[in-house]
Amino acid sequence: MATATYPIGGLQTPAKRPALSEYFRWSIDHKIIGVQYMVMAFVFFIIAGGMAMLIRWELLTPAIDLMASGSSYNTLFTLHGTMMIFTWIVPMFAGFGNYLIPLMLGAKDMAFPWLNAFAFWLIPPAGLLLIAGYFVGPAEAGWTSYPPLSTIYSPDGQTLWALSIHLLGLSSILGAINFIVTIKNMRPPGMGWFQMPLFVWATFATSIIVVLATPFLAGALTLLILDRVAGTTFFNATAGGDVLLWQNVFWFYSHPAVYIMVLPGFGILSELLSVHSRKPIFGYRMIALSSMAIALVGFTVWAHHMFTSLQPELRIPFMITSFIIAVPTGIKIFGWLGTIFGGKIRLNSAMLFGLGFLSLFVIGGISGMMLGSVPVDIHMHDTYFVVSHFHFVLFGGSVFAIYGGIYHWFPKFTGRMLNERLGKIHFALTYFGFFFTFFPMHMVGIAGMPRRVAEYDPQFQNWNLLIGFSAFVLGFSTFVLVYNVFVSIYRGKVAGANPWRALTLEWQTSSPPPAYNFVGDPIPFEDPYGYGTDASKAYLEAMEARFGESFNPEKPKALPPTTPTPAPEPSAGD
Amino acid sequence: MQRDLLELGLTRQEQQALQNKRAGIFIFQASWILTFVCLIVVNWQMRFSPNWMPDPNDRLGVVIATIATAILGASALLVRHAVKVVNNQNLSEFLRLWLISILLGGIFVVLIGYEWVIVPTGTQYAQVFRVMTGFHIVHAVSIGIYLGLVYVNGRKRVYNVNDYLWAVEAGAKLWYFVLVAWLLFYVVIYWI
Repeated sequence: MATATYPIGGLQTPAKRPALSEYFRWSIDHKIIGVQYMVMAFVFFIIAGGMAMLIRWELLTPAIDLMASGSSYNTLFTLHGTMMIFTWIVPMFAGFGNYLIPLMLGAKDMAFPWLNAFAFWLIPPAGLLLIAGYFVGPAEAGWTSYPPLSTIYSPDGQTLWALSIHLLGLSSILGAINFIVTIKNMRPPGMGWFQMPLFVWATFATSIIVVLATPFLAGALTLLILDRVAGTTFFNATAGGDVLLWQNVFWFYSHPAVYIMVLPGFGILSELLSVHSRKPIFGYRMIALSSMAIALVGFTVWAHHMFTSLQPELRIPFMITSFIIAVPTGIKIFGWLGTIFGGKIRLNSAMLFGLGFLSLFVIGGISGMMLGSVPVDIHMHDTYFVVSHFHFVLFGGSVFAIYGGIYHWFPKFTGRMLNERLGKIHFALTYFGFFFTFFPMHMVGIAGMPRRVAEYDPQFQNWNLLIGFSAFVLGFSTFVLVYNVFVSIYRGKVAGANPWRALTLEWQTSSPPPAYNFVGDPIPFEDPYGYGTDASKAYLEAMEARFGESFNPEKPKALPPTTPTPAPEPSAGD
Repeated sequence: MQRDLLELGLTRQEQQALQNKRAGIFIFQASWILTFVCLIVVNWQMRFSPNWMPDPNDRLGVVIATIATAILGASALLVRHAVKVVNNQNLSEFLRLWLISILLGGIFVVLIGYEWVIVPTGTQYAQVFRVMTGFHIVHAVSIGIYLGLVYVNGRKRVYNVNDYLWAVEAGAKLWYFVLVAWLLFYVVIYWI
């Protein structure tokens, strides 16, 4: 009965996993490109994380001892921040989007597969340019690269830094165009805007920000490069230039960029909480539309980064807009709490990271409100309080979402389950390592310790010891995940098509999905989060009948390895 | 009209691909025009500089720029007409109009390039002027080269009908982009 109700087209048996070499060459398969994005981003994460370890090592003592000079320290935090933002978080979410968006929409690929590959292949040279800069005189003006530090006081590596960010920005724009067109044009029959998974909504909102904000970064970087190599004086105050010009244009991009880095995490969280609570998402439309609201209001708050240099009469309007943007974010938080409230919660690794995100991001949001207040910001400006705030948002938020997403979708990516015991160890080390690294920074920041210094007042040393050793735990925790991934790819339990019994379309095909994802047009379930209804049970049973039994985390039983079948021949027009 | 009939004959995948291309180029234009808006913001903010234009006589007159703008506008109108012509599969007339559009675009580039060369240097006005017009010329030349490729391919008959239509449509849309970007700059640089 149920099988007749949902005539899903699709391969019934898993496809062969692509050969390893395919991930190292040009491919227009969105799944390969997705994995390329994710693996490359993770490599940069390890490199930039190593830099963070060196930073904390230097700060174990108040004197400068590990580094040769303050300039070396400046280089470290400049590359750390730049790489974490532009070569880790942004491309990592692009990787999730590339892999999942066509699957969630029941499409065979992205709208522009060639452009998709091109956007990816802009990133490795950009990352290499960043690193190459280290050897020609490294950039040391911070990831914000304020002139005149980034113009007359920086060596040639700063030029390579700017060229690198230019390439990364172009890659982002091309990727975002692809996402928008794919989401707008390639939804399957029966999937309206408000039947889309919330990760798709989040990616859509993110992509709108990217296409509207990144051109401003491109403009600013062009001027910076001209100042450095062509003798112009846009940012040279002694020749009539204006350093605040950079700050305005840079933050007009970079504050929305914060949402570029966190909105996809919101989308991932929505998927995790609903699936692992076995409950419909609470306030679906409000969560979806609040992403759009954040995307729009995000363009009106940039000058709160400049409260100390801004004309006084402009401070209050930007303070108000900064507070307003907390409203749609708060709507999401309440929506997520409503989703898990009374749910049948599975405390697996994915859910733990989801809950970790929820708890840590709220702290980051509250400290953001504090910094959005003019008098508090003027006191806290450029202290460790700011460092704490943005790490709670970008690590406690974005990176926890990425980890949760990895645990959630790894079975789909590879056909194997990640080891749960290792996952929980990873979570515990990450959560407590993170908390004791970044929460104490609030205290030292309030007490007046400035950011971006290699030497500090000895009164802060005890706090910095706690922060440093916690950071080492946090750094170590990453390798638990790496180990888990390597072991599970080869020895993990066979996942089957839908081990989480989720309703979104990426689970209604084999794991890993075959080339072109589905045969024919898959029919989405009427509500991607409609858990707990007879209709959803019938749908899931129909899926299981088609794709075979999946691993059941609640009643673990090893499934026999399945025999891969060759990918289907693409139809005309593919 | 002919074009609509052709599109009806496309397979579902081909129609989807065409829709995607149209949406993609629209979003690209909406995004990339903001780099021009960014330079307008720069122009506006640099006007507060003490070195903006110490001598008001440094400001270039509007005559050459207005002639150039009219030429670019005429070029865009001809491109628009050429698209209509090719939609009715009148290839020889299309090629004639397309070539004239490219030549007019070339005259525009020469005129604005002349302004770029003669602007008195040493002021913030001059360097903002050069960056804005130079940025626009780079786009005009790049897209002009693309229009030239469409022309050459049209003469060689290398496209099938559907590809050819899209190549022309894309070229026209990019050329409109050049016009719109220039109109924004023209008003800001020469009139405000």
